[in-house]
Amino acid sequence: MTDEKKINIVLAGQGNSGKSVVFNYLTGLHQHIGNWAGKTIEKREGTLYYKGYTIDVLDLPGIYSLTTYSVEEVISREYIIHHHPDFVINIIDSTNLERNLIFTLQLLELECPVILALNMIDLAKKKGITIDFKKLQGIINAPVIPAVASHGSGLTRIIDKVIDLRGEKADHSIHRYGKEIESCIKQLSELLKGIDLPYPVRWIAIKLLEKDNDITTLVGEKRAGILDKVKQLSENLEEIHGHDSSVVIADERSHLASQITREIIKITPDRKLSLNERLDAITTQKFTGYLVMVLILGGMFLSVFSFGNWLSGLFDSIFKEWQGWWSINVGTAFIASLCWAAIESVLALVQIAFPYILPFYIILYLLEDWGYIARISFLMDKLMHKMGIHGKGCISFIIGFGCNVPGCLSCRIMESKRERFITAVLVTLVPCSAVSVIIFGLVGKYVGLLWALGLYLFAVAVIFIAGKISSKLLLGEPVELIMPMPDYKTPHLKTIVYQTWDALKEFIFIAAPIVVVSGVVIQAINLAGWMPAISTFLSPVTVTWLGLPAITGILLIFGILRKELILVMLAAFLGTTNFSDALTSQQMITLAVVSMFYIPCVATISVLWKEYGWKKAMAICVLEILFAILLAGIAKRLLDLVF
Amino acid sequence: MNNEKNKTGLTELEDGQTGIIVSVLGGKTLTKRLADLGITSGTEVKVIRRTLFSGPVQVEVAGSRLVLGNGLASKIVVETK
Repeated sequence: MTDEKKINIVLAGQGNSGKSVVFNYLTGLHQHIGNWAGKTIEKREGTLYYKGYTIDVLDLPGIYSLTTYSVEEVISREYIIHHHPDFVINIIDSTNLERNLIFTLQLLELECPVILALNMIDLAKKKGITIDFKKLQGIINAPVIPAVASHGSGLTRIIDKVIDLRGEKADHSIHRYGKEIESCIKQLSELLKGIDLPYPVRWIAIKLLEKDNDITTLVGEKRAGILDKVKQLSENLEEIHGHDSSVVIADERSHLASQITREIIKITPDRKLSLNERLDAITTQKFTGYLVMVLILGGMFLSVFSFGNWLSGLFDSIFKEWQGWWSINVGTAFIASLCWAAIESVLALVQIAFPYILPFYIILYLLEDWGYIARISFLMDKLMHKMGIHGKGCISFIIGFGCNVPGCLSCRIMESKRERFITAVLVTLVPCSAVSVIIFGLVGKYVGLLWALGLYLFAVAVIFIAGKISSKLLLGEPVELIMPMPDYKTPHLKTIVYQTWDALKEFIFIAAPIVVVSGVVIQAINLAGWMPAISTFLSPVTVTWLGLPAITGILLIFGILRKELILVMLAAFLGTTNFSDALTSQQMITLAVVSMFYIPCVATISVLWKEYGWKKAMAICVLEILFAILLAGIAKRLLDLVF
Repeated sequence: MNNEKNKTGLTELEDGQTGIIVSVLGGKTLTKRLADLGITSGTEVKVIRRTLFSGPVQVEVAGSRLVLGNGLASKIVVETK
């Protein structure tokens, strides 16, 4: 309490509770998004200036429980314990009260000052759910405030409460378990008295019985003797209840939440099927579900690509003018050209970011906020399982069709490291919008549209097989899908704008440095006149094995920067965009196959590097180069039979 | 016959059918994870629908809708009347 006017609060809650909406509402533009030390998990902080107070707000990652399953969960509880926030605002999805209360009970066990925000109270009402929040307040002895975050209602009341209660000692009533468990907790608490750990003693006792690895290790270091007692007590509990002691506690907590819920809510069921029910039925039923999915995704790609091609073309003509201006006014000497290469790399990013990624993200977040994305995971889970990952991985693939960079970033939604990695590798094989330019501009235009579509099917088959292989190679159990199915709700524009903006910023920050550096390096090699030597060096592969003109060696080098450069440079070298003059049909298809798989572009490589380390990133590149050369060589030989 | 209770995996229920959870056949990590989502023995669970080819199951439990992978759902033993 050094500064009277400074308060810090954290937002905690389960996924889909509307936490980020609250965060954005409170902090507006005063946000800072970084990473938790050493983790790839986002840390969102912001500041609110209100009634003369400076209130620091931290948005903890969305979680289901405070027991150590995932990194997010550990981060949250450790933060609460070590940083002693003045208040933990527990954001609750009122339409899923019971499930949310299980988490609330765990928060209360941490003995930190808690304020409950019953968010989406309007949606609960619509579903016929009335919540007696005063009664809930009485039961847990903590403030409970109904809110509708998307309209901002109730949020100032929460902050007023924070200011009111600041400095007061919270005295929440912490629930009691059954008498056997309570007796164990009591015995352990006696033994733990005065232990030099920052956690509440009762909480440590509960965690020991829950067999929490971290806490068990910590206690073992201080007082090893206690662990024998824990073992004895948990064996006792297991004998009585027939379950592992950790399960017994989780079970009882869940039953407590259900008991409290029954006491405080009244449900007046709506006899007629709600709009949500009907939408849910149409979008998840066996046949209509898939039909709707194909329509929605097809519509999304079609609109993004047609908008993107238009805007990208517009940018193209503008940037060409700039380049002309540059070569006239600055010159085309070595240094001037290198500078232009750097500028061009940035412009190229802009040319991907705004025409393609921006609309892509907007539609995607719109679908997510509406509640549709979870339906896709549901529908696709079975198919994804055949590749060793679960339904959520499908979302990364969909994003990957737009751009592999956000596709790889989105793999963070996968729970285990193993699945995150498999999904990322597979995403790098998804033909992104740049590869689509090659497929359609080369094969679609000069060989035939059916061949172009065939290449897409081929890519899907390759991804499927690669998934099967990598799930066999990477040891570990596939994680099963456990996902809350959100109700459909009116999308909240502000949230979508914030999410899109964050994602776009991340894309540019991650991709920009490496794209600029490699752009300059490759241009330097080009200007130094080493390119012919490189194409000769690569000719055993390009000419002998793949049957392509020697110049493709250079194209493939430039293609690492951005895949569509393969086509752009080809046109530049040929002096015409009529590619059929220079390439035969089988050469075009072979070149397209190589371009699809031969290496992730530098921007994607930089994400892989950031998320999985340089060793894995390099391993993926080398493997994909070898794989693409092998595959395209075989394809060439087969195509020779066809044409 | 009416009063006889049948124990089956959750995946065996018809769409729209309700059962009471008897146990979860799985390791303690899984069992705990499910308990944190309100899936514990003694709780009522209703199958809403599933996808083609024995895919995941959409259920209603503890007042919320959840999607569970098929393999996982088959490990949840329920009792029907």
